[in-house]
Amino acid sequence: MAAAKMKSAKTKRLINNTIVHVVLAILAVIWVFPIIWVVLTSFRAEKGSYVSTFLPQSYTLDNYIKLFTDISILNFPKMFMNTLIIAIFSCLIATFYTLAVSYCLSRLKFKLRKPYMNMAMILGLFPGFMSMVAVYFILKAAGLTEGNMIRVALILCYSGGAGLGFQIAKGFFDTIPYAVDEAAILDGCTKWQVFTKVTLPLSKPIIVYTVLTAFMAPWLDFIFAKVICRANSDQYTIAIGLWKMLEKEYIDSWYTSFAAGAVLISIPIAILFLCMQKYYVDGVSGAVKG
Amino acid sequence: MLKLMKKEDGFSTPYTCMNAIKKGGIETKLSMVLMGFGNFVHKQKIKGLLYLAVEAAYLVFMLMNGIGFLSMLGSLGSVPQKEVWDEANQVYVYTQGDQSVLILLYGVATVLLTLLMIWVWRGTLKSAYKAECLDKNGQHVNTFAEDLKSLLHENLHRLLMTPPMAAICIFTILPLIFMICMAFTNYSKIGNHLMLFDWVGLENFKALFDSNSILGSTFWSVLGWTLIWAFFATFSNYIFGMILAMVINRKDTKAKGFWRFCFVLSCAVPMFVSLLIMRTMLQPNGAVNVLLRNLGWIGADASLPFFTDPTWARVTVIVINIWVGVPYTLLQLTGVLQNIPEELYEAAKVDGANAVQRFFKITLPYMLYVTTPYLIVTFTGNVNNFNIIYLLSVGDPVTDLASTAGKTDLLVTWLYKLTIDKQYYNIGAVIGILTFIILAVGALLTYRNSKSYKEGGI
Amino acid sequence: MGKRRAALLMAGVLAVTGLAGCGGAESQDSGAKEKVRLMVWSPSEDQSKDSGQWLQNTCEDFAELHPEWDITFVYGIADEATAANQVAQDPEASADVFMYANDTLTIMTDANALAKFGGKYREEIETTNSPEVLESLVKDGDLYGVPFTTNTWFMYYDKSVFSEEDIKNLDTMLEKGTVSLPFTNSWYLPSFYIGNGCTLFGDGTDESKGVDFSGEKAAEVTDYLIDLAANPNFEIDADGSGLAGLRDGSINAIFSGSWDANAVKEALGDNMGAAALPTYTLNGQEKQMTAYAGSKAIGVNPYSKNMVAAVELAVYLGSADAQKTHYELRNVIPCNTELLEEKSIAADPPVSAQNDTFNRTSILQPFVAKMNNCWVPVENMGKGIRNGSVTHENSAQQTEDMNEAMNSDGI
Repeated sequence: MAAAKMKSAKTKRLINNTIVHVVLAILAVIWVFPIIWVVLTSFRAEKGSYVSTFLPQSYTLDNYIKLFTDISILNFPKMFMNTLIIAIFSCLIATFYTLAVSYCLSRLKFKLRKPYMNMAMILGLFPGFMSMVAVYFILKAAGLTEGNMIRVALILCYSGGAGLGFQIAKGFFDTIPYAVDEAAILDGCTKWQVFTKVTLPLSKPIIVYTVLTAFMAPWLDFIFAKVICRANSDQYTIAIGLWKMLEKEYIDSWYTSFAAGAVLISIPIAILFLCMQKYYVDGVSGAVKG
Repeated sequence: MLKLMKKEDGFSTPYTCMNAIKKGGIETKLSMVLMGFGNFVHKQKIKGLLYLAVEAAYLVFMLMNGIGFLSMLGSLGSVPQKEVWDEANQVYVYTQGDQSVLILLYGVATVLLTLLMIWVWRGTLKSAYKAECLDKNGQHVNTFAEDLKSLLHENLHRLLMTPPMAAICIFTILPLIFMICMAFTNYSKIGNHLMLFDWVGLENFKALFDSNSILGSTFWSVLGWTLIWAFFATFSNYIFGMILAMVINRKDTKAKGFWRFCFVLSCAVPMFVSLLIMRTMLQPNGAVNVLLRNLGWIGADASLPFFTDPTWARVTVIVINIWVGVPYTLLQLTGVLQNIPEELYEAAKVDGANAVQRFFKITLPYMLYVTTPYLIVTFTGNVNNFNIIYLLSVGDPVTDLASTAGKTDLLVTWLYKLTIDKQYYNIGAVIGILTFIILAVGALLTYRNSKSYKEGGI
Repeated sequence: MGKRRAALLMAGVLAVTGLAGCGGAESQDSGAKEKVRLMVWSPSEDQSKDSGQWLQNTCEDFAELHPEWDITFVYGIADEATAANQVAQDPEASADVFMYANDTLTIMTDANALAKFGGKYREEIETTNSPEVLESLVKDGDLYGVPFTTNTWFMYYDKSVFSEEDIKNLDTMLEKGTVSLPFTNSWYLPSFYIGNGCTLFGDGTDESKGVDFSGEKAAEVTDYLIDLAANPNFEIDADGSGLAGLRDGSINAIFSGSWDANAVKEALGDNMGAAALPTYTLNGQEKQMTAYAGSKAIGVNPYSKNMVAAVELAVYLGSADAQKTHYELRNVIPCNTELLEEKSIAADPPVSAQNDTFNRTSILQPFVAKMNNCWVPVENMGKGIRNGSVTHENSAQQTEDMNEAMNSDGI
């Protein structure tokens, strides 16, 4: 009797597991499917944005080659370098801002702490692009809208609001026990030393998370970049370039290369995301507690 | 030790501004006019000189530019561009007139700078008074070097908060106030007010709330859809992501990393790429309809009205948003799920609860309690979720021909269309403000009750 | 301390005299040449090596023709459709000379960002261009640009399917092969309405007259369009489906402009035909499909520091020589009246189709400020017919709604 019960429990488990795995497989296919379609399109030989068949009928590497060789109109390698430089610097500045603010709000006591948190919450409720015109003229008054200074302008833009995105990092810092700080202070450290020598080493997951999210922003935004770059095509970022490939004059010959370009920038972001996944889960679990 | 642990409930200090004015000595009172004088007298020479330098810089700026900007703020400029025909060279030569946009921006910037200066002035006054008091009591007055060192310890918050705060002021607060001011002007293509515009007070707000006007009726319907969308988008992602996280998290699930990788992969492709591709795929002649036709599931000429029928469009947008958002939710909730104590589940199993009951009575309440701030932030984020709607449906379909908004337009995308496409900047600003007010009231109330706000900051 | 101060003072004095000396030397030299810096914007193809660098070559030629100026050119990329927005956003930091599409003219004049042409320059422009082209750049009697090409759309067709007679009428074509039109694009759809007598702002310049797409004349067109969309030989051209159809043979005629000439040539080879717009049969009568026509022109920035050089450059970039090389390098159809009489150019199918359309089967696209309200309602009408929400039962009401929307600011 017991044996029969165990056997039916085991089969029940087996059936459950199979169902679960099948469902997961279907969902995974749905999720990965559009990505696969983009990759296939990037290898498609037929030109143009419209296809009468769902899957490409012939494949070629030309679209990728075109990105690197046909640089007279859309200079993909230069845009890639621009975006890389902007991303690296803005990520450094933004990470510093975010971690600094999060640490202060989490650990230090000062009069403007609660007003600051209220203000950050309020500012986050306004749509970002309303400030485009104003930001352009502010940068112009600072002389940053000509030639190579445009990169500096973009770096400042992308890292400017970083001090408002402290919630996740602060949540993480909240989970580090205060006793650690106390011990360090008793040992004679200044609070700055506590920050740099004690708290930061313990926070590798959240640092990785902050760095990576800040790094990704310049690759994805095209609204701000277009407003600031205007006609300086040698300062364009990848996002502007990809967007331009879809314009009426270019779409017919560049659509498949657009897919190729998208794949090329997705690869590093995907790798980063994978590395980040481990830290993401560790780091955010404490933060989301709020 | 105990003192360190106890939370101080106030920041009371005798070195306030009022005290400085009332009780301070002559040198402190002089500091009201000559910033830094008090510090200078009481052995803080470098600090005093620095304050004086700041005051000098401000006064120079105001004399050269600031007063001019402030004076024009009332009229916002009135000189149009002048044109002169140069007979000798056979060309028209132009002298530039006023540009109201720039006058408004510089005026607002000057006002903000002045407010900042007043705040700095108060700080220097307090500092002068403190120096005077400490000096008179024979206590130690910090030298400049010691002040710098204190930045690394007691005043670490000043060091760490100032650079981010400065960036926020310049790039977020100033443009924001500028935009708010725009809502009270007639800066718009209507009536050719793009170069020179004037203050009109609350007229734009009246037009918006007048439900007989096209604008008014559009506003309420867009607002309604925005709230519905935010609700469904947030909770569909949340529930779905949570269930998915739970399923992957089960003890018996194999290859957890592989499953997570599949779902996270869709995050890697930049959002505008994947959304644009989805949009072209779901057009009446797009890849999906072509596939369905080839498979014979729909007629040869028919196409599923993904973006052409209002209800279909709204459902499609919510469904695609699930595709976009679940990977993020999955990552974020996995960690929290893993922290739920196993014993709760064990006890429930012993008590005979099945999977569904365990979910509703243990998992869901715990998750909701822990992730309330996250939900609020996501909800407000979805109200302002420009990317998904603009790239996916561009607000289509537009069933009310006279209106400027479509059936899937959110307040943000409608605002974008009004501002960029039609150049009705003032109306756009009004909508921005109203969106904010609606969100702010709800969000502030809920946020202030959350754990995150109350805790933290020892 | 004293020595240091003296040294600093000396250095300062030297620096100042050095600079003054430089200035003096320069002013002695510049009697010969005036230093001029001109920023020029154009679409990227005009500057790319693959397409022969039309802009750079033409500007260098201009510099040689004017030895009295020592010109430094700075180039930037702005295609004709968006140049106006960029210039209007910040004219002071924009190009001295740029290329723009005429329907964006009011964006710039509203922002005081476009200079007028007068006197001898205006005469020169007027003698080398047809009156209709000039009209597209005149606002309140002032000329605002140097035209270098017309901008309109016409019909490409497969010669092996349609004969010269067939292409005169749309309904005849539909009996013989498949035709595709960008139905949901409001630049193309009004061609049917205008052909049946609907008007925009009087003759196109009188804002007070408003838009007249109402009444019986418009409702019958809507009914015609509903039937057209339902015709099995008619395909709606969207997202590049027209061109793709030409490639695989499922579509035999599309409506497009000179930007697709190369792609169509590649798809159809020797069978490529281009012609002005056909007529369509409405209730037994033949009505002419009438396209919106405009032009692309070279404009001058009123903030330019050297107006004379900028105006001269603009006129040169629109001159016959420049238009000829532009046509040879990039197939940009010229509008200079002398060039159009040259046999070799006139024989090119897209050239003759575009000019025929411009002269015969088009109206000048109005560029008054209120034209901005006319795009979305027509687009929605096209989408409504496509997805079936506009039917014969409600066509009259829907047309009236569309007309009302075209006449309203949306406020």
